[in-house]
Amino acid sequence: MNISVELHTLGELHVKGIIGGEIDAFTAPILREKLKEITLQDNMHVELNLMDVSYMDSTGLGVFVGFYKSISAANGHMELTGLSSRLKRLFDITGLVEIMDIQETDKEVKKDETV
Amino acid sequence: MNLRSSVDIITEWDIVAARQLGRNEAKEVGFGTVDQARITTAISELARNIYLYAGKGKIEIRQITDGNLRGLLVIASDKGPGIVDVRKVMEDGYTTSGGLGAGLPGVRRLMDDFKIETVLGEGTTISASKLLR
Amino acid sequence: MPQEFKRQYKEILEQYTQRQTELNLYEGQNFSRQLIQKNISPEEVISIHKASLEELMPDLPNDVWHSFDLLIEVMIRYGLALKEHQTLIKKQENFRMEMELASNVQQTLLKTKIPVMNDLDIGMISVPAKEMNGDYTHFLNDDTTIGIAVADVIGKGIPAALCMSMIKYGMDSLNGAETEPIVVLDVINRIVEKSVSDSMFISMFYGTYDTSNSKFTYASAGHEPPLFYSAKSNEFSELQAKGLLLGVIPNVKYEQHIISLDKDDFIVMMTDGVTECRSKAGFIDQNTVMDIIESVRDQSAQDMVEFVFHKLEELQEFEQRDDFTLVIFKKK
Repeated sequence: MNISVELHTLGELHVKGIIGGEIDAFTAPILREKLKEITLQDNMHVELNLMDVSYMDSTGLGVFVGFYKSISAANGHMELTGLSSRLKRLFDITGLVEIMDIQETDKEVKKDETV
Repeated sequence: MNLRSSVDIITEWDIVAARQLGRNEAKEVGFGTVDQARITTAISELARNIYLYAGKGKIEIRQITDGNLRGLLVIASDKGPGIVDVRKVMEDGYTTSGGLGAGLPGVRRLMDDFKIETVLGEGTTISASKLLR
Repeated sequence: MPQEFKRQYKEILEQYTQRQTELNLYEGQNFSRQLIQKNISPEEVISIHKASLEELMPDLPNDVWHSFDLLIEVMIRYGLALKEHQTLIKKQENFRMEMELASNVQQTLLKTKIPVMNDLDIGMISVPAKEMNGDYTHFLNDDTTIGIAVADVIGKGIPAALCMSMIKYGMDSLNGAETEPIVVLDVINRIVEKSVSDSMFISMFYGTYDTSNSKFTYASAGHEPPLFYSAKSNEFSELQAKGLLLGVIPNVKYEQHIISLDKDDFIVMMTDGVTECRSKAGFIDQNTVMDIIESVRDQSAQDMVEFVFHKLEELQEFEQRDDFTLVIFKKK
């Protein structure tokens, strides 16, 4: 039952979130509340890094679907990065990979990004 | 006979004064120690509610009779914001002050009869009575 | 009544102050059971104690008597907390009964009959993690064709169950078993997309099996891919079909595929309650699940699903986290 969510504002329209731990029925509400803190504006770009997420179930998926819907409605863009193969499979199976911007773990990029 | 039959609640000290008045009247009616403690606890709760949520108000204590029975009536009135959802504040387990078994459901349990009238923006009047059996 | 309690209590108290035996204490403890049963509040117990003491030791100093009044005052809230606790327990019991009723209604509403076909052996098991099931299985059939829907509503419990009745009505609006899987998914997606909240969605697999040519046609809306077991090659493969979850966007293109079944081939359809099994050592991986299924491949489809459920239950040490549904179509 642990999750960590850090939000960094990188620019007026650019937010990067770093999520770690487990996203399940217990922790999903915490993540959902945290993402609500982001003020959605036109052309907003939100990158969510899931590199340190060790487990996610369908409830967690629900949070990202919800966030994707609201940011898309506000003409913004959500990008998920750093997905492990297990997490990636979840987005593959559910077909979400077709509509969302999803990047698998890339070792080289990873080094640069985790400052 | 106590001439003062009501106490204005403005500061936390007034809660003690209201209790004192209630205890004296309860003793006079003939309530035993346990019932005295129940009545004063109910007064405490009502006065505290006024102090916390309405800012100021009044606790009035009256001796009453019902047939052959004597008793005490406590009326708490304020001109505060009123209660939005009465049903909710009367519900067990719902508490804004964070105390177990306290609040208005507690008052209702401690007394025999309980009535609440509230108008949003105008205030709240709660009357609670207990008869000596 | 309190008079009677006072008499009894005084007696116990007197005995104890004289002898201090364990038996006296035991009697005191038994007495408290009676008090609780009769709803005697803590402040009253202290009052009884004080009154008994007044008779047994009238010469105690005044300070002692005053101290009891303070104790009574202090205990009033314990009495209130106790009463509140009692009503909350009663309330909880009411909720439990309501849940039980709701779960019965759900079971009646979602009842589906496993069709009996000459060509196909069908096994099915669906076990909710809590009272209400968020998994949905539905069969449609005519003389030659069987339609099978396996769906999983995200989340568990009541919200999932309510959401599921939507699929049920969507399914009822279809024209029989021969409706193409992609059409079925499209219809249900439109219904769900309009009606659910933003973070709610459903994954669903739909397939039709035609007994006249032993072909299985299927499509998936973001659902866990079924496993196909080929008897000839003794191998499992996943029945992949691209398609987005139901309820995310209104217009979705689903893929449809066809596979032929030979004798003893079978298809295993499931929800993520099966694939997301976790044991102490970590996830139970797909290979383990396949090994379990393979070990009972010669049994009837119903025996197979039950065996798999019990085996996985055992591996998870009987802690079921998610709704669990497993359906097997096996060609005779």
